[in-house]
Amino acid sequence: MLEADVSLRLGALDLDVRLAAADGETVAVLGPNGAGKTTLLRALAGLVALDRGRVVIDGTTVEDPLAGVYVEPEFRSVGIVFQDYLLFPHLSARENIAFGLRARGMPRSEARRRADEWLARVGLADHANDKPGALSGGQAQRVALARALAPEPQLLLLDEPLAALDVGIRTELRRELRSMLDGFSGARILVTHELLDAVALADRIVVLERGQVAQAGPIAEVAERPRSRYVADLVGINLLHGHADGHEVSLDSGGTVVVADPAHGDVYVAVHPHAVALHRHQPEGSPRNVWLGRVRATDLLGDRMRVHVSGVVPLVAEVTPAAAAELDLHDGVEVWASVKATELSVYAV
Amino acid sequence: MRRTLALVAVAVAAGVCVGVLGALPASAAKPPNVSGAITVSAAASLAPAFTKMGADFQQRNAHTTIRFNFAASSALVAQIQGGAPADVFASADRATMAALVSGGQVTAHPVNFAANLLTIVVKPGNPEKVTSLANLRSVGIVSLCAATVPCGKYAAQVLSRNHVSISTDKITLGQDASATLAAVASGDADAGIVYVTDAKRAGTTVQTVKIPASRNVLAVYPIAGLAPSQNRALANAWVRYVTSRAGQRTLRSFGFLPVPTAA
Amino acid sequence: MNRRARVPLAAILVAAVAVAFFVLPLVGLLQRAPWSSLGDDLTTSQARAAIRLSVICSLWSTALCVVFGVPLAWVLARVRFPGRSLVRALVVLPMVLPPVVGGVALLAAFQRNGGLLGEWLYDWFGVQLTFTTAGTVLAETFVAMPFLVITVEAGLRTIDQRYEDAAASLGAGRWTVFRRVTLPLVAPALYAGAALAWARALGEFGATITFAGNISGRTQTVPLAVYLLLDANRGVAIALSLVLLAVSLGVLVALRDRWFGGLRDARG
Repeated sequence: MLEADVSLRLGALDLDVRLAAADGETVAVLGPNGAGKTTLLRALAGLVALDRGRVVIDGTTVEDPLAGVYVEPEFRSVGIVFQDYLLFPHLSARENIAFGLRARGMPRSEARRRADEWLARVGLADHANDKPGALSGGQAQRVALARALAPEPQLLLLDEPLAALDVGIRTELRRELRSMLDGFSGARILVTHELLDAVALADRIVVLERGQVAQAGPIAEVAERPRSRYVADLVGINLLHGHADGHEVSLDSGGTVVVADPAHGDVYVAVHPHAVALHRHQPEGSPRNVWLGRVRATDLLGDRMRVHVSGVVPLVAEVTPAAAAELDLHDGVEVWASVKATELSVYAV
Repeated sequence: MRRTLALVAVAVAAGVCVGVLGALPASAAKPPNVSGAITVSAAASLAPAFTKMGADFQQRNAHTTIRFNFAASSALVAQIQGGAPADVFASADRATMAALVSGGQVTAHPVNFAANLLTIVVKPGNPEKVTSLANLRSVGIVSLCAATVPCGKYAAQVLSRNHVSISTDKITLGQDASATLAAVASGDADAGIVYVTDAKRAGTTVQTVKIPASRNVLAVYPIAGLAPSQNRALANAWVRYVTSRAGQRTLRSFGFLPVPTAA
Repeated sequence: MNRRARVPLAAILVAAVAVAFFVLPLVGLLQRAPWSSLGDDLTTSQARAAIRLSVICSLWSTALCVVFGVPLAWVLARVRFPGRSLVRALVVLPMVLPPVVGGVALLAAFQRNGGLLGEWLYDWFGVQLTFTTAGTVLAETFVAMPFLVITVEAGLRTIDQRYEDAAASLGAGRWTVFRRVTLPLVAPALYAGAALAWARALGEFGATITFAGNISGRTQTVPLAVYLLLDANRGVAIALSLVLLAVSLGVLVALRDRWFGGLRDARG
């Protein structure tokens, strides 16, 4: 298991993260580029030194600048799967996997035998003698994973393990990765910028923005109650910010919404795009939340159309292309948007 | 692009003109005073003496320029035979000069103008206690001229005349007299055999161990004007100066000996 | 014809002149060569001694270049220390220095009488480097090492340092990382650098004649022998020149794909 308090400055990045992962638990670290995700992994592995803080793996403190403790990367029991795998180009797949075992003193024949076992486990027994250059993206990823797991580390770090793959095979490999991780007993930290990877592979999520933790918790909770623009965009829901007084919330953008659950003070208001209804004319009847806006842009995503509406309550609405055509929605057109109070999720900042 | 080409053409033409003009002989008629420029190729051992004499000559004869080319005599002969532009050749031995004579490249019979003896040079203080040629067998490194160079031939003669042979893995060969001297004067060679004039020129950087005249070898220096010279008047004037009383006095001051009358 | 595919005639003519500039002297050498007596010329004792000495000294020199040059290249490529660019400039200096000047500098340092280190070496250990085969090796190493260091440093810089991170995370100590990851990846650049250094050492003249002198069988390498034989026995001089020419050409041809390709290959 991992307990880490990582605090360091690298160039323009000010990293300050508290992180914990239990054995068998996968924590996904999400964030935009430059947030410090890779630096965080490198710090846990010991490739970048902490300025302050502590890293404790399975009860052993491997780094504590204040106490003068620093364990070199080669003595930490940490397995890393790098973003572009970094398989040693001059060694075969078998030798790559055996590398960690031999480096720790295992005799060559024994190490090769173990490596062959791993190759069979990932279904690459036929490629044992292939050099990394001869392997496909998916095959290389499996070798990289086997190489990291073979020395039986206590902690497994994965840096965007699926990023280098074509979209087509990503789904299949995601499933495979899931089953491989299930067979690993240690803690895992997974860095990704794809929410789908986090959902499929992780139990908890930590959102990193500009070196700081913006949000952390179970995925469902984070997805439903985003606390930053980045997460909201990632999850694909609307996020508004304002001041609540009972059932009324005055938004920063100028409008006012009526919500079902009363609240007070600084709040976020979240609403799913598909809960936003669009009308060409002001609707009559029940919905208390009705605003006038203007269509800023439209995106066609498969069988859905996302309509960006600007105004006192800026929102993204999701409608069917047919509905959009019916409403004659295009850039610059005035629309009325309405949302039921019960569809608005309110929570304190 | 075209303008650049035109400029280049003009520059090339100008260069050619200047080159042609420069190569023309100074004048056709012979004025009472010589003028112009000549190149004197001379043995390396003559360098200090000839340089001084050249300065004196140019001072006495306005509008003259004497350019020197010092190297081993054998190297100079190869240059001249290869067509190098030289007007006068002064050699450190008669055999080397003979090669040019038989090739018809001298204007008149060579004139012997100086003589030289060999001497042993050692480091100041004579740390190896060298007193004779025989001692050279037992010192560390001995600097000799290469066997193909006059001073090397002389050194070989003086060694064989004294029945001294030094093993080759202790001999460092210099390509001319100056290099041979330098190995002892500023290098790590323990001893060397050079001309007396070289030792004199080296001053306090070396100490000399005399080789008695009876056991020594006399080097005789001939000088001759060269056939392909473009300024034979000045070339002959230089040869005359070298053999003149003034020239001979200067040579003597640098340690050269007069030519033996029986030579 | 596609206008872009046509090479301007002017460029071709000038290029042809440049090629002639290089080829003519070589052709002249081949033409002057004493082909009929080549065997005899090359087996004279002086020629054989010179060739043997050249081979031995250049190989020793290359070995020293590798042993000392690779760690230096590694430090220059990987360690950030104050004055690094100055050190790099010093290492490259022998490449731009006239070899004779290099020889004079070596004398100033290693001469028995008055040399900065040489005097101490001689007084305390009786070691003299001038006029010895070791001195020849020293002079050749001085001029050849920059070639190896520059080539290997460039090769190291193109290697993704994260390979070394990966190896460390797998439990490999610094030496193991170097031995099993860095060295194999930099091997092409290393071979190219060693070949360049060897060719340079083989052809060195100015520094060796100034520092190690010209002692037949001990310091008279092929270039020095050629120099002395120019006037005396031009045939043997040309024969020896041909040997050096053939060897140099051989090295260059063998490396022709590796000049910069080898450095790129090191990327892995």
